[in-house]
Amino acid sequence: MKNIPPVNRQQAIHGQSPGEARLMAMVAALTSELAVTRERLDTVERLAEAAGLFTREAIENFAPAQEQAKERDGLRRRIIDRVFRPLREDARRKGESK
Amino acid sequence: MSEAHAMLPSANHDELAEQLFVRDLKVYLTEAIEPHFRERAEALDPGPASNARIETVYERLHEDETFRAWAMLRRTSQDMLWAEIADSVHRQSNDLEEAASAAPQLGSLTLDPEFEQPAYLAAGDVHLMPGGYVHDTGDVTQGAIMDRGGAVYMLGRNGGLMNDVRGHTLVSHLYTLYPDFAPADILELGCGIGASLVPVAKAFPDARVHGVDVGGSMLRYALARANHLGAAVHLSQDNAERTRFPDESFDLVFSCVLLHETSPDAISRIMEESYRLLKPGGIVAHLEVPQRYESMDLWGKIRGEIEADYNNEPNWKAAISADYGPLLASVGFKDVAVGYQAATGNPLRGEGRFTDQSEGVFRSWFVASARK
Repeated sequence: MKNIPPVNRQQAIHGQSPGEARLMAMVAALTSELAVTRERLDTVERLAEAAGLFTREAIENFAPAQEQAKERDGLRRRIIDRVFRPLREDARRKGESK
Repeated sequence: MSEAHAMLPSANHDELAEQLFVRDLKVYLTEAIEPHFRERAEALDPGPASNARIETVYERLHEDETFRAWAMLRRTSQDMLWAEIADSVHRQSNDLEEAASAAPQLGSLTLDPEFEQPAYLAAGDVHLMPGGYVHDTGDVTQGAIMDRGGAVYMLGRNGGLMNDVRGHTLVSHLYTLYPDFAPADILELGCGIGASLVPVAKAFPDARVHGVDVGGSMLRYALARANHLGAAVHLSQDNAERTRFPDESFDLVFSCVLLHETSPDAISRIMEESYRLLKPGGIVAHLEVPQRYESMDLWGKIRGEIEADYNNEPNWKAAISADYGPLLASVGFKDVAVGYQAATGNPLRGEGRFTDQSEGVFRSWFVASARK
């Protein structure tokens, strides 16, 4: 993870539990990830279709090679950190608190 | 719509999709959900007889978990914007450094290693931008984050990726009220990444143009950005309340949306500093958001409280409540003008509109100007 400083003075929403706040933030991040992925998939499908590259059936039958599977692991782990960043941030604050 | 420039960080396919998502999430929260809370606020309004009208409604709204969820998503959209843009900028930090080095050397930069940021900035990162305006890792990244973030944050309503309508509008104001004004020395207080300074510099190509702000990275980026855009600007790390320049150094001292990020005391000191810095006959012009507190409706005031608490805008109320006419007069200025300048991306002499009525957010900007 890049060294981005934490925000100075971030007020809790008055009356909201930290758990509820975290859940909202995670849902927002998750929705973003889904929107980005869907948009990328749309790009790929349109380009493939335009170029006559492959069919939907070829997607269903695809099996990644070892290196490819490793790269996919990286993608997946990045998504996990994106979605659960609010939890990581809270955990970091807990860890730093004396 | 203005075009981008060589220093603006780009966004790859997925980064652009992320940034568009945040933009659309913000629009959704504002357009699809916020009107319901406006209604709710009106239902909770104890009426003008109450001596704690805004406080009461603000507190009652927070008793509702749906309101809290909305407020949290709003704050989250801002956190997401900065996190995504920071990741994107760090990915291309080497390219940005190279682009900065490749810029023609038109202007200059003076940093102050002893500089201490004002207390109101140390108290919290404005707009929740991590690290705030002063964060500096010796490169241009914080400036790049601020530039790209600002453009996304404005949702394209302030000159697109150039984010420069305020600077053009300030020029339009000068053309409207001071048609023969030809400043030789110009200073912008709180120039940021130079979004407004560049259009002012271009409007007065014979002037020597200065800008001050608090952050090293921001100013380093601003210089490279202006250099690429062909504007010679001389930037220094200074507190707008007390800059390094001698008395009577400038013909024009201006700011664009600086005051609402400072403090009530700082606003007064910035007015005094503007007066000190101007030559006799010089012009001061401070441009601000077009809302005035006294004419805001109930929801406008509640929304301001939400921004203050959850988007680190603690001085918004003081800045839009201040009576700039008497304030400018009290430090010695004469011919004080206070009103609304029609927003423009293309100021033309003889075509600007300065009136006492705002035409609305992003259609007008509030301007207070005067002569020393």
